Amino acid sequence: MEPTARTGQTIAQKIIARHAGRDRVEPGEHVTCTPDHVVTQELYWPTHKRNLDKIGAKGFKRPDKAIIVIDHTPSAAMGSAHAATHRLLKDLTTEFGVENFFGPNTGLRHLVLIERGFARPGSLIFSDEGNIASIGAVGALNVPTSADILVPLLRDENWMTVPKTVRVDLVGRLPFGASARDVVQTLLRDWGHGEFLQCCIEYGGPALQHLSMDDRQTILASTFHSMSDTAIMEVDQVALEYVQERAAGRPYEPVVPDADAVYDRRITLDLSTITPMVTVPPEQTGATPVEQVAGLKVHQATVGSCAGNRVQDLRDAATLLRGRRIARHVTMYISPGSQNVYAQAAREGLLEVFAQAGATVLSPGCNTCWGYLGVLNDNEVSITTHQFNYQGRNGSESSKVYLASPLTVAASAIAGVITDPRTLLQGAQHV
Amino acid sequence: MSTSNLRGRVWKFGDQVSGDDGIIDFSAVRDGFGKPFDEALLKSMCFRRLNPRFPAEVQPGDIVVGGVNFAHHNHIEVSAAIKLSGISVVVVESCESGFIRRALSQGLPVLTVPGIATRVADGDVIEVNPATGHIRLADGSLIEGQPFSGRMLAIWQAGGLVEALRREFAAGAA
Repeated sequence: MEPTARTGQTIAQKIIARHAGRDRVEPGEHVTCTPDHVVTQELYWPTHKRNLDKIGAKGFKRPDKAIIVIDHTPSAAMGSAHAATHRLLKDLTTEFGVENFFGPNTGLRHLVLIERGFARPGSLIFSDEGNIASIGAVGALNVPTSADILVPLLRDENWMTVPKTVRVDLVGRLPFGASARDVVQTLLRDWGHGEFLQCCIEYGGPALQHLSMDDRQTILASTFHSMSDTAIMEVDQVALEYVQERAAGRPYEPVVPDADAVYDRRITLDLSTITPMVTVPPEQTGATPVEQVAGLKVHQATVGSCAGNRVQDLRDAATLLRGRRIARHVTMYISPGSQNVYAQAAREGLLEVFAQAGATVLSPGCNTCWGYLGVLNDNEVSITTHQFNYQGRNGSESSKVYLASPLTVAASAIAGVITDPRTLLQGAQHV
Repeated sequence: MSTSNLRGRVWKFGDQVSGDDGIIDFSAVRDGFGKPFDEALLKSMCFRRLNPRFPAEVQPGDIVVGGVNFAHHNHIEVSAAIKLSGISVVVVESCESGFIRRALSQGLPVLTVPGIATRVADGDVIEVNPATGHIRLADGSLIEGQPFSGRMLAIWQAGGLVEALRREFAAGAA
């Protein structure tokens, strides 16, 4: 058989090949990869523990690679079964010698991985959620699994199918009042019907230089709603400087796509065309310009989730909340993504802004995003930076969840109705 | 005939079917985290919103054929509901990789076979072989999808991931 012509490789192909002990891999191949880390949260651990007992496993193959984070349940209320899960993980990680166990209120896995230098350029990390692709901001590849997160913990490897790659080139600059969240909500509106199935989305392009590390993580964390396998970004000087401060001497090797890499599709997204968007429930594809839904009464406003809980998100909310109060009929919750974000918000005076505005700052965690806290009543409307907007996600089956940027959420909390942030940003000092 | 050949009656569903908020209700996910599956609840919900006859009339060994972007947004309760209902295999036009992975861990094979939806009707009897990727249609014609890897076959044939790992540990292989 004639050998086929060898074409270039994308970032994902190169990272997977490196972790599969191969020179190259092709989309659609089933391969076995040895990860740099394995990260998992608490919710499924009662099940995982029962399964470990059935399997007869008494420990992990590489406990030094395991990162276990309690992030969905920052505290266990009276009667909650989660108190037992917290105990289980504290005991199990001690017994198994897992040094990197992070208890309640440390923050989300997403932020723990990147802030503490576990995720670095060229890393491959098996995780338990697609939104952990936020680590792609430092050029690390998230490979989401499910119940089989136990496989890399027990065997230090797992199978995966090599994804195709879609290249998204970002060009232009965001206009006044638009933010990273609006970028990804627009992308999902246009490409959220299955076009990216079994793909890795590789972001690059000249607009990256205008996006902060927090902005980049927001875009990457929500990209999985396109049903893509994962997402990653090119690593530029901004990302490298971020990594260098956190790598603490641990090795990393940035990966760049070959000039002749083969993409399943190439898309150019001009950020100068982005405007504030609101994604109308119940679909992720329901983004519409904020003007289309402005005036709708809201009962709750929340800033949080792995797509909206970093310092830049809190700064954006504070820009509008400073010197103002939220509407009387609105409850507002703000969930910082990590202890580091919480502390930075304190240093910048943001917590005081929120308190004086009448908003409640919760401890770092997923909190309201999956309806653990701030449960919605019948027929209530929420405007939020959460990840999901489908029926009953945050409480009552008849409640409705509208997704938007921190700026739009804050503007709506103040007015008590969905509000175009540009109408309040005039004259505000944007930090 | 290969032992991995699955023959059954087709329940056919369309394109863009949501998993958590379509095949089942999200309430089963929200109330289920970390707990053993509520089998009766999941079976009673399964495909009810898309075909109310399904929960009562599905038979062990039946096959689900789905369209484009099938079961998008799915937690483990979605594939569990399908498996618990007795479905032997799911064949779809397209779906996310996570659905294949989650289902396989539970012992339910999911194959992506572009073109399947236009050539299969509800109620057809077809044969699916995950080992070869071959689908034998009701009219005797053949469609070829991507076969499972040896590792995927081992998980399926053990009845799911936990049993596959238990066997490995018992054999001292891991």
